[in-house]
Amino acid sequence: MKNKLINYTCLLLALLLSAGCEEYLDVNDNPNTAIEAPLDGLLAYGSAQTGLNQFRVGSFTGFFVQYLASPNEGSNSDTYIESDYSGTWGSIYNTLTDLYDLQLFGAERNAYHHIAASKVMTAINLGLLADTWGAVPFSDAFTGENITPAYDSDEAIYNTIFRLLDEAEDDFSNPANEVNLDADSDFIHAGDLDAWDKTIDALRARYLNHLTETGNYDPAAVLNAVNGAYASSGDDAELSRFQVRNPWADVAVDNENLLLGGWLSEQFVDALNGNTFGVVDPRLALVATATDNGDYVGTVNGAGRMGDGTEAVESYLSTDGALSSTNSPLEIITYAELKFIEAEAALRSNQNDQALMAFEAGVRADIEKLFALQGMDGTAAANTYLAEAYPGLTAGSLDLATIFREKYAALFLNPETWVDARRHNYQYQDFSLPENAALSEFIRRVQYPETELIRNTENTPTVTLTDRIFWNR
Amino acid sequence: MRLVTLFFLLIGLVPVSAQSILVSGTVTDQENGEPLIGVNVLVAGSSTGTVTDLNGSYQVQAPTDGTLRFSYTGYTPQDESVNNRNRIDVALQAGTQLDEVVVTALGISREKKALGYAVQELESEEITRAQQSNVVNALQGQVAGVQVTGAGGGPGQAARIIIRGINSLDPGANNQPLFVVDGIPISNETLTVGGDGVNRNVSNRAADLNPQDIESISVLKGGPATALYGLRAANGAVIITTKTGKSGKLTVDLQSSYGTETVNKFPETQKTYTQGFAGEYDPNSFWPTWGSTVEEARQQDPTHPATIFNNFENAYQNGNQWRNTLTISGGSDKATFRTSISRLDHEGVLPFSTYENTSFKLNANYQATDKFSFGGGINYINSGGDRVFADRFNERLVYWAPRVDVTDYIFENGTMKGYRNDGAIGNNPIYGEFSNKWIDDVDRYLGNLKFTYQPFEFLQLNYVVGMDQYTDFRRNFAPAPRGLAEENIFENNGLGFVNETRIRSRQVTSNINAILNFNPGEDFDVQFLVGYDIFDSSYDRVTTNGDELDIFDLYSLNNAANISTSSFTSTYRLLGLYGDLSLAYRSAIYLSITGRNDWSSALPKANRSFFYPSVSLGLVLSELTELPDFFSYAKLRASYAAIGKDTEPYRTNVVYSSAPGFPIDGTTGWTRGNERGAPNLVPEQTATFEVGADLRFVNNRIGLDLTYYNSTSSDQIIPVPVSSATGFTSFILNAGSIENKGIEAILRLRPVATTDFNWDLNLNYTRNRNKVVEIRDGIEEIFLSSSFGYAGSSASISLIEGQPYGNIYGRSYARYTPNGSEDDLFIDENAPLLIGEDGFPVIETDQKVLGNTQPDWFGAITNTFTWKDLSFSFMFDTRQGVQKYNQMGNFFAAFGIAPYTTNRNETIVFDGVLADGTPNTKAVWLGQGVGPDGEDYGAGYYRNRYRGSTENFVEEADWIRLRNVSLRYQLPTSLLESSFIQRAAITLTGNNLWLDTPYSGFDPEGNRGNQNIDDGFGGFTYPGVRSFFVSLNVTF
Repeated sequence: MKNKLINYTCLLLALLLSAGCEEYLDVNDNPNTAIEAPLDGLLAYGSAQTGLNQFRVGSFTGFFVQYLASPNEGSNSDTYIESDYSGTWGSIYNTLTDLYDLQLFGAERNAYHHIAASKVMTAINLGLLADTWGAVPFSDAFTGENITPAYDSDEAIYNTIFRLLDEAEDDFSNPANEVNLDADSDFIHAGDLDAWDKTIDALRARYLNHLTETGNYDPAAVLNAVNGAYASSGDDAELSRFQVRNPWADVAVDNENLLLGGWLSEQFVDALNGNTFGVVDPRLALVATATDNGDYVGTVNGAGRMGDGTEAVESYLSTDGALSSTNSPLEIITYAELKFIEAEAALRSNQNDQALMAFEAGVRADIEKLFALQGMDGTAAANTYLAEAYPGLTAGSLDLATIFREKYAALFLNPETWVDARRHNYQYQDFSLPENAALSEFIRRVQYPETELIRNTENTPTVTLTDRIFWNR
Repeated sequence: MRLVTLFFLLIGLVPVSAQSILVSGTVTDQENGEPLIGVNVLVAGSSTGTVTDLNGSYQVQAPTDGTLRFSYTGYTPQDESVNNRNRIDVALQAGTQLDEVVVTALGISREKKALGYAVQELESEEITRAQQSNVVNALQGQVAGVQVTGAGGGPGQAARIIIRGINSLDPGANNQPLFVVDGIPISNETLTVGGDGVNRNVSNRAADLNPQDIESISVLKGGPATALYGLRAANGAVIITTKTGKSGKLTVDLQSSYGTETVNKFPETQKTYTQGFAGEYDPNSFWPTWGSTVEEARQQDPTHPATIFNNFENAYQNGNQWRNTLTISGGSDKATFRTSISRLDHEGVLPFSTYENTSFKLNANYQATDKFSFGGGINYINSGGDRVFADRFNERLVYWAPRVDVTDYIFENGTMKGYRNDGAIGNNPIYGEFSNKWIDDVDRYLGNLKFTYQPFEFLQLNYVVGMDQYTDFRRNFAPAPRGLAEENIFENNGLGFVNETRIRSRQVTSNINAILNFNPGEDFDVQFLVGYDIFDSSYDRVTTNGDELDIFDLYSLNNAANISTSSFTSTYRLLGLYGDLSLAYRSAIYLSITGRNDWSSALPKANRSFFYPSVSLGLVLSELTELPDFFSYAKLRASYAAIGKDTEPYRTNVVYSSAPGFPIDGTTGWTRGNERGAPNLVPEQTATFEVGADLRFVNNRIGLDLTYYNSTSSDQIIPVPVSSATGFTSFILNAGSIENKGIEAILRLRPVATTDFNWDLNLNYTRNRNKVVEIRDGIEEIFLSSSFGYAGSSASISLIEGQPYGNIYGRSYARYTPNGSEDDLFIDENAPLLIGEDGFPVIETDQKVLGNTQPDWFGAITNTFTWKDLSFSFMFDTRQGVQKYNQMGNFFAAFGIAPYTTNRNETIVFDGVLADGTPNTKAVWLGQGVGPDGEDYGAGYYRNRYRGSTENFVEEADWIRLRNVSLRYQLPTSLLESSFIQRAAITLTGNNLWLDTPYSGFDPEGNRGNQNIDDGFGGFTYPGVRSFFVSLNVTF
């Protein structure tokens, strides 16, 4: 009442300013926002976005690794046309910003677990950045002080990833922790510290394993990390709660409603339908739609649709697919992936028996997981598939190509496959340049987004799409 | 002198040749015959004279062969030879050319000659001449220094007005002047919230006003003219005075006008090639015109039409509009009123675009006592319409194969007909507008109350309080798929949605002031004004999005599967204390000093109070000294003003907001806000210096008004867009300064002036130059905006120190400059093209200046001929030295639509040199796929190279147009004498009848949107229109 009176006084009469009128002007605290964010609110956003960023990156790298293909001939996404991924870049930096603040605010309240989770998620997002763009800003970022943040080399980013993982491990076990993770707000591990610990090792294994082409590759370190990581698919780091539905399910639902997207590439479909390897992979039916003829047909990248659109003559992401249903998990890093990492590292260090065991476990884990997601037991299917696809496979005959082949199938839609594709020099069976390709060789990175080229011009490196990330020589 | 004459008279020494007689008579207004009081009557060549009395009568001694000169403010002076007459009656003609009284800041009427700054005023006739429903468009071409731009000719579409160039570097800043209606500032925002409102042709709020209600518009061009209004008028002010009732008999006035419109300019399209890719015809191809020739296609497919459609022309229709205004006014000598009702229905050239406006207005005034009067006005407006998405409409026309008629957009079952696979695939833009709706519905109340109390002759107290309140209910909705087999879904409709946005905006203004007049001596007039001004604004918005409709066409939130909501509220307050001291000496020297202190709620506490002064001087030379005869009037003026400026609310903190995409299962998320607020912001400062001259010759038949101005705005508060790696997308900073300087010239001629026939010629010219003087240390450039182009050819507008505002940057064809002499920012136009080893031009990826969005100069010429009851006028309007990024042109290249792409099957050698300096000799094929030489050219020259050079699409966008032609016939009063009709007039109007421009897109006057940053981006704008009106005005 008193305030109102003061306001009216000011409004109607006051010719001289008084303290009351100062109050009248004190309305510049934004009533729609807060000055400090709740820790669990940042955790919630950071963890959910960390999951969604896998989709954002995967939705264009999926074309590079030919999981997906565009229905339109010569489409930019298929043909290596220089494209602007400002949106995805912005989303990842937005996520990193909130994770940075989570550490800042967490430190004020001795919330070491929040800090640790934040560091792990920071490592995941940095991995996405460095593997997609190479050098990116980090050490100079997020503070709000520097308008044009300098870039850290991709190699430096990797060192940061390993440092953050080490620090997170310590922070999780810091006895001074005063705040526990809110299970509902932790969209990746629901507040389970053990699971986070395993994910730290899982990530170590993944990023150490990326270094195969560098002088720093250490298979023993990879295997050591794998040891501390997941024991089963139940440990997988993934996002499985969504506001409406899994974003790949959105793509599938839209496509079903003729807002086209999620068309599967001929490369992926042929690898699984028997065309390339003569064996039908049971997973194909779990993720893709059959054509009107009841078979599975992919679209050639860059060639566009085959049919006239009136009937389904090609396969798409299925609305009830294991990875594209409403509540399907959006995978970040899985047990199956770790088994293939183990297989690769073991093979590279001549531990062939371990390699074979890990390889088979990887194939099994993924098949069984997809079956389980469809409410089925996949044990038998996995056995049958392994027997049919690899009769007579031995520790001695297992090669890297085979590991990459199965890892490609197991990591369907995961942006990690693009790292493998480049490390493997795209030597997948029958893998060829898209039609109407704008480059004469395979794509090795994407261009920096326009937001960086224009707003951070001085710092942004000049690159072409065939320049390689440091781990790719 | 008078004494001397008297002395000679007394002693009888009157010169013999000059026999003197007593002349008497009356002076009246030529138009209405009313007597004119206080007209100067002077015996030419002497100092003898008098003024007319209350009845317009005068008596004066004059030589029998002498000449009497009658002059009166606001009227054309007239000379009459005495010729021995004893009675000379004179009817003076009113003319805007003379010493008008103009409305200045705070609604104070002042003699124009008393002002130390430029003001231009438009009368109702000039405002309604072009029949523009948007009052901002009505100013087009009529005022020097004023540039009106817009996003095309959509019904009710927003127009933007900029006075004396861009003053603020903030891309989101409202660089527009303050709009004041009857003393109360009103909102002229163009709100783009709500669904994809930013893409819709929404209105600027001043468009709500009915131009028929307006008596006059006074344009104050910033600086000293608006110093009393304070920071909100830092970009100038448009002072609108609405019509009031006149004492006397009840008058009923009906104004009815009907108009029709068509697109005034279409882009050219090629007609040779049809649907397909790589030269192969395919009626199911996504690609509209990369296929075979039409002839070849017809051989394969007899159903292919003989000529392809020009769907850019085909998709547009004739628009029409109808406005009726009924006015009733009258009053007694104490009370007057005026009320009007008006209705506008407007259907645009783009299918389904509409706008409606209904307005009720009442003005009333009451002179309670000799000392006290009060009055007020209220205006209720309901406006809104079906706002189309012109940008995507035209973009989809690019994709649409011209083999197919785009107007055939719907199947019998109500689903969309596409352009390929027999209609099963492809987005039809017309179906899009048919099904995907965005409708606004504004209820607005403008009200004001005015009290004037004059306790003493020398003191007047004024209090004005007023309000501008509106609600805006915006709905964007689209149907869900019907679930029919092979249904073709319009891409933006998704699974059906309803978005509702409810906006409430309220602005209250309260202004009290006292005016003190006194005369310390016979030669001096002093006026002192002091006042206090309060502005209180609040805004809130709730947006609710409902996605995935259950029943496909039930557009209710209750029918949506997923609901999400966001809200925003904002409060802004501003207090101002102002004073003005005006001194006048012998109606010849005028000096005015003002000061104002503002207190803004939007700035940090420590910096929220700021003071700024202005001073202006006017010298009427013709009063001070004897000027040569051909001068009828001469005035010089000079002024200086500083104006402080605040910013938008809530820019002083770093904040956290609840995250989009949440809640999920009842869990909320939080995220850092994208904008980094600055706790130590200081007010912007704009210093304006202005000098000018107002010269009139040959009995005022030639008038020349010249102004030079220079304004510098420093400490500009800019949300600098930054790398997202900073943790923000923009930083609020006091980041730089910008300078505008320019010349305004107005030339008024009356080559013919007789009783029956008059010819008036009015010319205005504006030239503005601006420069980014300084950018904060540590920032190389400030990116403002960009417009997409394929293959990295997006054009952008950035601020670079030392460069003018509005430079368009982009990629270009590289030039061969072996000495490295190449300028960093500019293309070396004289250097040969650099050709790559592949035989094609090389793309320069470093950003170069390719043009500038701000015109070198602009101007207009209006001719008005009056012959008895007939009047005819036309206006030519031009804008010169301006460039524009033609985004549609970029797409035309990418999709093989541009006429020049018909050389696609040619083999040529590009003129240029290789990297080693040797001339290029390699012949290359321009087509797609494998060429005659066996080489694979992939997607071809136009897609692989040509479209990737922004340079190819930054075009000259100069224009000259016949803006407006108007023919008005007023029925002679003799015809109407016996009827109950007092006056009747019929007017024929044509707008945009002729346009000459090198620009290849639609009318280059249209920008992609309505913000500062949209200048210079052609986008896929709503096209400009040519319109014809017939209107009837009858007064009973």
